[in-house]
Amino acid sequence: MAVAPYATPVEKAWYYTFRVICGLIFFFLIMPILVIIPLGFNPVPFFTYPMEGFSWRWYGEIFGDSPISILWQRSMVNSVVVAICATLLATILGTLAALGLTRADFPGKPAVMAILISPIMVPIVVIAVGMFYFYAQVGLVSTLSGIILAHTTLGVPFVVITVSATLQGFDHNLVRAGAILGANPVRVFRKVTLPIITPGVVSGSLFAFAASWDEIVVVLFLASTEQHTVPRRMWSGIRELLSPTIIAAATMLIIISILLMFTMEWLRRRSERMRGLTPS
Amino acid sequence: MPGESEALVEFDNVDKTFDGETLVVKNLNMEVGQGEFLTMLGPSGSGKTTTLLMLAGFESITHGDILLGGRSLKNVPPYRRDIGMVFQNYALFPHMTVEENLAFPLEARKMPRDQIKEKIDRALAMVRLSEFSRRRPAQLSGGQQQRVAVARALVYEPALVLMDEPLGALDRQLRENMQYELKHIHETVGVTVVYVTHDQGEALTMSNRIAVFNEGEVQQIATPQVLYEEPENAFVAQFIGENNRLMGTVRSLNGKECQVEIDGGGEVAALAVNVAGVGERTTLSLRPESVKIDPPADGYPDRFDARVEELIYLGDHTRVRVNVCLHDDFIIKVPRSGDAPRLEVGETHTVGWNPADCRALDA
Amino acid sequence: MAAVSPNAGGPIMLDGVPLKIRLERAERMRKVKAVGLILPLFIFLMVTFAIPIVVMLMRSVENPEIVQVLPRSAAAMRLWDGEGFPPNEAMQTFAAEVVTAKAAKTLGKAAKRLNYNASGFRSMLFKTGTKLERAIEKEGEEAVLQGPEMLERFIDIDKRWGERRYWSIIRQASPPHTAWYLLRSVDRDYDENTDIVPISEDQAIHVEVLWRTIVISAVVTLLCLLLGFPIAYLLGTLPTKQSNLLILLLLLPFWTSLLVRTTAWLVLLQNEGVINDIAIYFGLWDEPLQLVRNRMGTYIAMVHILLPFMVLPMFSVMKGIDPYHMKAAASLGANPVSAFIKVYLPQTLPGVGAGVLLVFILSLGYYITPALVGGPADQMLSYFIAFHVNTTVNWGLAAALSALLLVCVMIFFAMYQRLVGVGNIRMN
Ligand SMILES: Nc1ncnc2c1ncn2[C@@H]1O[C@H](COP(=O)(O)OP(=O)(O)OP(=O)(O)O)[C@@H](O)[C@H]1O
Ligand SMILES: [Mg+2]
Repeated sequence: MAVAPYATPVEKAWYYTFRVICGLIFFFLIMPILVIIPLGFNPVPFFTYPMEGFSWRWYGEIFGDSPISILWQRSMVNSVVVAICATLLATILGTLAALGLTRADFPGKPAVMAILISPIMVPIVVIAVGMFYFYAQVGLVSTLSGIILAHTTLGVPFVVITVSATLQGFDHNLVRAGAILGANPVRVFRKVTLPIITPGVVSGSLFAFAASWDEIVVVLFLASTEQHTVPRRMWSGIRELLSPTIIAAATMLIIISILLMFTMEWLRRRSERMRGLTPS
Repeated sequence: MPGESEALVEFDNVDKTFDGETLVVKNLNMEVGQGEFLTMLGPSGSGKTTTLLMLAGFESITHGDILLGGRSLKNVPPYRRDIGMVFQNYALFPHMTVEENLAFPLEARKMPRDQIKEKIDRALAMVRLSEFSRRRPAQLSGGQQQRVAVARALVYEPALVLMDEPLGALDRQLRENMQYELKHIHETVGVTVVYVTHDQGEALTMSNRIAVFNEGEVQQIATPQVLYEEPENAFVAQFIGENNRLMGTVRSLNGKECQVEIDGGGEVAALAVNVAGVGERTTLSLRPESVKIDPPADGYPDRFDARVEELIYLGDHTRVRVNVCLHDDFIIKVPRSGDAPRLEVGETHTVGWNPADCRALDA
Repeated sequence: MAAVSPNAGGPIMLDGVPLKIRLERAERMRKVKAVGLILPLFIFLMVTFAIPIVVMLMRSVENPEIVQVLPRSAAAMRLWDGEGFPPNEAMQTFAAEVVTAKAAKTLGKAAKRLNYNASGFRSMLFKTGTKLERAIEKEGEEAVLQGPEMLERFIDIDKRWGERRYWSIIRQASPPHTAWYLLRSVDRDYDENTDIVPISEDQAIHVEVLWRTIVISAVVTLLCLLLGFPIAYLLGTLPTKQSNLLILLLLLPFWTSLLVRTTAWLVLLQNEGVINDIAIYFGLWDEPLQLVRNRMGTYIAMVHILLPFMVLPMFSVMKGIDPYHMKAAASLGANPVSAFIKVYLPQTLPGVGAGVLLVFILSLGYYITPALVGGPADQMLSYFIAFHVNTTVNWGLAAALSALLLVCVMIFFAMYQRLVGVGNIRMN
């Protein structure tokens, strides 16, 4: 899109106005995230600019050895354990299911697909309340396993969607080519199928990881203090007294999000290049 | 070429069905000679790809057997057949460079590193892509990808290479260049090629022999010349090259000669190639270039009046559409030369042909 | 040698078995294998997700308390036709069971259930139990529990027993299943004749909340569309190199935790927050303005969070629109505005539809963001579900409200599925 040489002054004015409007919308999207990061380094517990200096004080509250710090650190361990376990489970189950979904048609396939996808669509509070009610009866409330199972559920649709999409784009002639070139089925799978679908599986698992890493509502219902994750700790903090420690924790979450995002973009562009969508 | 060397591939009464109801390949008997370039040609859905896939081992053989070098292929998986294949969409591995694509079959055969390198270099040189060895398929043009696919199919020196419409995705110009290139490679390497296409020009250009398929059956297997000049049935005559058809009834039969009464009136002498008997229906097949306008008296016993309907000037020849015996789609090719008759639309001329060029085929 | 009879009218046979059947068997094996791959996940989701939700939703029609605690009274009350007062024998049974349940300390469960219908029922029931116990001590069991005028005795204990309403409530609470919670979730109730009537206006809240949920979702969706369309258009028409860079600006909020973004808005918008500070510094307003814990804050934060979900589907559609269509329209003499409206806009509709439905569906279930940046009047259905689980511990009502929310979402999800198709949901 560029201003055409024959554009009238009105068109030119509109062109620049449009750009400014878009700039403002992007500003709206990014500004809140960027503005709060420095506040975590404010030496005083206020959320105002200009800042009064620079300090690691609030990060110290998380990484120190006061009772509060211990809680924060435990919540980090919980978050990591839950996210990793849930991601692994979701990736394995979701990838297998995606393989099955693309392999053959069978009656009721759309319905099955709808069920596999529904955890993204059903309101999270309904899910959390249902799990709370049911898990209480089987002793899974206030256990890390309960939260891991719940987060697996929430992450699995992402894996199913991304891996199915990858498999649908997969050219089965490549498997034939591998075979006729003399590679046995195991070798074909290792050298051809796996490398091609891996980016899809990894993207799916990154989504699943992010879904677990950010999740708060289910944890709100299923976890007692022992199982608190980082978002759950933040929640308590926000509800009690909004302190810059929360901002420090939020900043760390943002950094992880950025890492996830760049990995994801890198994977996406790599696979697009591979398919020749964006010749370089 | 058959007879010169023994057969490398033999199809022995092969049948194939996908659904258990219709046979898409029917009682196929065919031999491919050592070093031969055999093309399977036929309309869409005639079973060419299916035949090729059975040979490659990707489709089961419903009945019958395929022999490669005298050995049954029935229980040999594709990866042990030692066949090369070029796919229509090339099926190059997108995550590997050109070099890695070529190394794949060699590594699968556990070849030592230095030998692999050498073979890859040689194969890339053959298809003139040496400087592209580190590119990925997506970074190559269609023609280059096609050449990589050919190089990959040849690099491990299989006895047999299969190609399923390998030029289908290319534009006309590139297609024609690649036809010569493939033909050249076949001649220098000496590999046996089974080639599938539904482009008859391509088949005529490249092949030693052509197998014409229709509805799962082989209609005729012959060299391009025989196929064009001596088609054995109406389908082949119609499918290969341009052809005039006149329907009629056999009136008398005398060895290789017969008299046929044409539906629009008149009786002609024809070469009895494939007629059922006296009183039966037949299709007369005449190549447009065998028909003469205002022919000399001797050698052209059968003469007909023809009204000129349309003239199309094509440089080296003129296509003339005439109405003969109530057939108004009768085409005659008149080569450009000094003594060519001057024609006008609406005029009536005499046309005639040599009875040996008029083949009486099945109805 | 196996013989194939090539299509001589009948089925093709191989080794005496019709080939068709063999092929069908092979095909079935393939399907079984495919299903086998899906099964682990399917079972997993059934156990961890679908069954829990269904079991919880069942609570909205279950009515176990009275049946469990006062089983014989429940049976007797169900026999009562609802006219006038229950028969004397039913009251006798009721009195006897209240006494035993109180002794067994199970009465509280029944009392809590009846209290949902009429506040004060709990204390009345316990008072009745205590007084009956005392009377039994004084007069003997037979005299009290087999008395001919039970109603008089109940009215003596508490004169509210003289109102038919309380007896109807017991009767309505007696069957093992009830539609009462579902009725309550849409602000309806049974009257003393078990007719369905709207509940009194000061108690009616859920319909208003449902309406509020829909209004907030609609406004958020509309705002997202207004803000999302221009940037989707910009991204869709820019060269890939530039749009790839701008997409990162869109993906950063998309990947950032919802809680983090909500927190950010809380920090920005609160009275001592960044926005108020800046505005006062520049003299835009003098006093800190209430920007958060109200509807305004809710809209701002929700739009910010949901905007990427609106832009991404629109962008992917717009990227596929051939720019030459617009040029062609221009060359045919259409002015840019009408070319845009007549040529470009209709082609974007699938993306717009997908984005609108997605954002609307997601907003319907929002909980965290309104809870943190909204005020009491901005809470949506999800909040009340959580409230009834955590605070009032009224599972029946929580389940009924969940069912209500779920039905709303399902309706729009079905539309989304028709428009987009489940298999086509993409995330990138
Ligand atoms: N996997 C399959 N399942 C069922 N039927 C098939 C399958 N593959 C091919 N067929 C059918 O077999 C017949 C022959 O197909 P084939 O692909 O061999 O044709 P072809 O000669 O290669 O045609 P084209 O020139 O279009 O490639 C067609 O009628 C086709 O519909
Ligand atoms: Mg084919």
